[in-house]
Amino acid sequence: MATRQPTQPPPFDEEEDASRADVSGEIRLPATLEGAGPLPDRAEIVIVGGGVVGLAIAYNLARRGLGDVVVIERGYLAEGASGRNGGGVRQQWSTELNIRLMQESVDLCRRFAVDLGVNVWFRQGGYLFLARTAREVARLDKNIAIQNRCGVPTRMLEPGKARDIVPELDLTGIIAAAYNPTDGILFPWPFLWGYARQAAAHGVRIFTQTPVGGLEPQKGGGYLVHTPRGAVRARRLINATGAWSPKLAQMIGVHVPTYPIRHEICSSEPLKPFLRPMVSELTSGLYCSQSMRGEIVGGVTIPGHGSTYGMGSTLEFLATYARRLVRLMPILGEIKVLRQWAGPYDQSPDGNPILGAAPGHPDFFLACGFVGHGFMMAPIVGKLYGEWLTGGEPHEIFARYTLGRFSGGAPPVPEKEDFNIG
Amino acid sequence: MAGKIVLCRCEDVTLADLEHCVSRGYQDIEEVKRYTGFGTGPCQGKECLAAVASQLALLTDQSPAAIPPFTSRPPLAPTPLRLLARDPGAHRFADDPDSERSS
Amino acid sequence: MARRLPGHDAVRGEAIEVRIADTSVRAFPDESIAAAAIASGTRVLARSLKYHRPRTFFCFEGHCSGCLVRLSGVPNLRACQAACAAGAEVEGQNAFPSAEVDLLGAVDFLFSRGMDHHTLMTGSSVLNRLANKVVRQLSGLGKLPDRAAAELPEVAVRTVDVCVIGGGPAGLAAATATARAGRSTILVDDQLRPGGSLRTDPRTGRRAAETRWADAAVAGVEVLARSTAIGYFPEDDGGVLAVSSPDRLYRIHATSWIWATGGYPVNLPFPDNDRPGVLAARAVGRLLVDHGILGGDKVCIVEVPEVAVDAAALAAALREAGAEVGRIELASATGTRGRSWVSALDTLGGKVDCDLIAVAGIPAPASEGPRQQGCKVVLDPPAGGFRVVIDEHGRTSAPGVWACGDVTGYVGPAAAAEHGARVGMNVAMATMAVDW
Repeated sequence: MATRQPTQPPPFDEEEDASRADVSGEIRLPATLEGAGPLPDRAEIVIVGGGVVGLAIAYNLARRGLGDVVVIERGYLAEGASGRNGGGVRQQWSTELNIRLMQESVDLCRRFAVDLGVNVWFRQGGYLFLARTAREVARLDKNIAIQNRCGVPTRMLEPGKARDIVPELDLTGIIAAAYNPTDGILFPWPFLWGYARQAAAHGVRIFTQTPVGGLEPQKGGGYLVHTPRGAVRARRLINATGAWSPKLAQMIGVHVPTYPIRHEICSSEPLKPFLRPMVSELTSGLYCSQSMRGEIVGGVTIPGHGSTYGMGSTLEFLATYARRLVRLMPILGEIKVLRQWAGPYDQSPDGNPILGAAPGHPDFFLACGFVGHGFMMAPIVGKLYGEWLTGGEPHEIFARYTLGRFSGGAPPVPEKEDFNIG
Repeated sequence: MAGKIVLCRCEDVTLADLEHCVSRGYQDIEEVKRYTGFGTGPCQGKECLAAVASQLALLTDQSPAAIPPFTSRPPLAPTPLRLLARDPGAHRFADDPDSERSS
Repeated sequence: MARRLPGHDAVRGEAIEVRIADTSVRAFPDESIAAAAIASGTRVLARSLKYHRPRTFFCFEGHCSGCLVRLSGVPNLRACQAACAAGAEVEGQNAFPSAEVDLLGAVDFLFSRGMDHHTLMTGSSVLNRLANKVVRQLSGLGKLPDRAAAELPEVAVRTVDVCVIGGGPAGLAAATATARAGRSTILVDDQLRPGGSLRTDPRTGRRAAETRWADAAVAGVEVLARSTAIGYFPEDDGGVLAVSSPDRLYRIHATSWIWATGGYPVNLPFPDNDRPGVLAARAVGRLLVDHGILGGDKVCIVEVPEVAVDAAALAAALREAGAEVGRIELASATGTRGRSWVSALDTLGGKVDCDLIAVAGIPAPASEGPRQQGCKVVLDPPAGGFRVVIDEHGRTSAPGVWACGDVTGYVGPAAAAEHGARVGMNVAMATMAVDW
């Protein structure tokens, strides 16, 4: 089953991201975003990771008056999973906490373009999950009950009704569908630019092309963060490095039990609008939607691969995606794939994120383990983090989704999130 | 037509768009690709990558050799799904009609 | 206007009819749809995605997006890579009411200084919702196909000593050399007919292309025409090159790889350089050399100094075919004029009337395939772009991967053929040990 969480990490392949293997030499731009100037000596908060999670937190801290924040990104903005995902934003989750979080995220997405001054082309065309087995239907039924209780208007549809929404579907083998019209998709890259620009406008300094070389705990708290641009003394540090979170945490001896899993994705030639919802098939983890530019963007979950930072593309993916998609929507047979790529999921043992301070390290905060869904969760997680670290009451996610739950220092999360699809 | 100097025909990216992008701080070729959209259309950069990269070197005052290409992604030409759908390397799920390996 | 030259009639064969935008047009099976379209006076095929600028033929070798059309019910196909077949139906795309008279062309003038669509209409939520609706409706090029694919073909597998990618002068020579040395050799070429730049250069010509293609076949090279290397996948099956042909996908395994993909025709930066009637110089050459079509009666060649010799050869051939030809340095070109097709080039020296502009830039090395195999490339503007770095034998930085011809930096067809033959020999020598 595509959506099952492995309890033990699979074998790990040490291969690093080779996406830039063709670069002649080690080339990194001196430029930093928005003229950040030299790395300052100290900052109240240093956020490592300029992906959507890190930038969302930075923005929310700054707009609540905590602008003494430095964001350090090893590459360019959107180089990691934030720039590589399919842009889906849904409330069809399996636990009440995640559903409620995503309801708030959807609200923030709706307002994002106007609040942040950049178009993210959020379009609520719905999410249509297709089931081929009775077990899949039972899963959907169980989730829908929780979703409805939270006020998400998901409903179970007969296959024929699903085809009213997507007339191109071949219903052979489909026995039911779950549809929530208020889920949607957006265009991921501008989301980061919006957060980055507004954070910078509120005083946050963002340094791209700046890898962290080491963390040195300081007497009296905080860390000295070493980079090729010099060192910055952080009163508090937030690890928002996605799939690289275990590596950063390891620098201070903290074990984060997440591991990287490569997920591949591809995009088609641009077509005139025809596909309203995101369509996903539970059996294979196939998903596809039509972007604001008209491309069919989608992927499929191929089980059984090891853990890796390698972000290469495979023919296996392309073939599997083609096979499943043409079967589900035969009219797409002549549609051409333009481009495929891959991104790393930061896979956590129970499918839920890891938030809050690391046990025994009160100045080392985590925002990781989002299992490929950090993008859609970032708006609300950033907001809650911003409220908490500027003196607000901590939301229950910071008590529930602690690192300690994996080592017995805190209660485990009662329900595993089993709906990490696509 | 309005006097635009077009660098990327697929996505209508002009020299002015590139200058605007660089002025906003997006100077890595990968950032330029994402901000302007150049090289993301049906030609995938065949017509525009060399031109944009050369202009980027000029605009950012770097030597051309310091500008890497953006990542070359398969497929190198638009490829219809129907040609890929029966590739023997495709993963077979439990419900695939000719399932050999099941998941 | 473009016209077919009578001297070419013998190779054209019998006329057939195709339909272009609901009009019956005379064509020949030897021609591409794009060649037949330009010869029949078709001007605009589609509108661009953002500014709705007119889009039509530019490169004539399947590498730009200019000539995407809906062909017999399938969207977004390149007219220059489709052979004319009786009854073919060609329709324009992404325009209202038609590609030539498109009301949305006004967008180009409304945003004459360009548009940052990232910040467009973010001022209020009402405006923004409207922008989202409008942009969604305007997005995309072609519409869904008329019908599902007739069949899902089986994949073919080839295992060879040498795989050569690109059937231009360098690739044909390299493949012929390795095959003559007894190495099983497959050659992949993406054009309607192999020959590459030999078919665009009046100094070589169609006959040279056909002779060298025949030589390769006689030497035992398996030639996959109309076949594109779509990617090298190091993790699949020990490393496999996937190649798409019109009727099937190939998986190719080889001991040695030779990239001879040449260069792509590029446009040059001057105002309104994308107006219909601005063609790559190589496209103008291809029409003349390979199709016997004179692209215009008054041709302006806009050129850079690095390719002056090629431009001179093209100018001479066009004049011989009956055209008036002017040559203008890029630095002097300040704009283009014309409604649905160019009528003049503006230069520092004044307006030059013309009915065709041929842009002679340095072809950009087609190095994205080698990059997927891990070959080092470097941006070298005088060589045309990102050229593959090789040693004196033709070896790239990736083991077992070689390159020759324009993909290693622009050299032109004659030098590319010599280079290909030499690198082919080197590959044969380097793999000698496997004979014993």
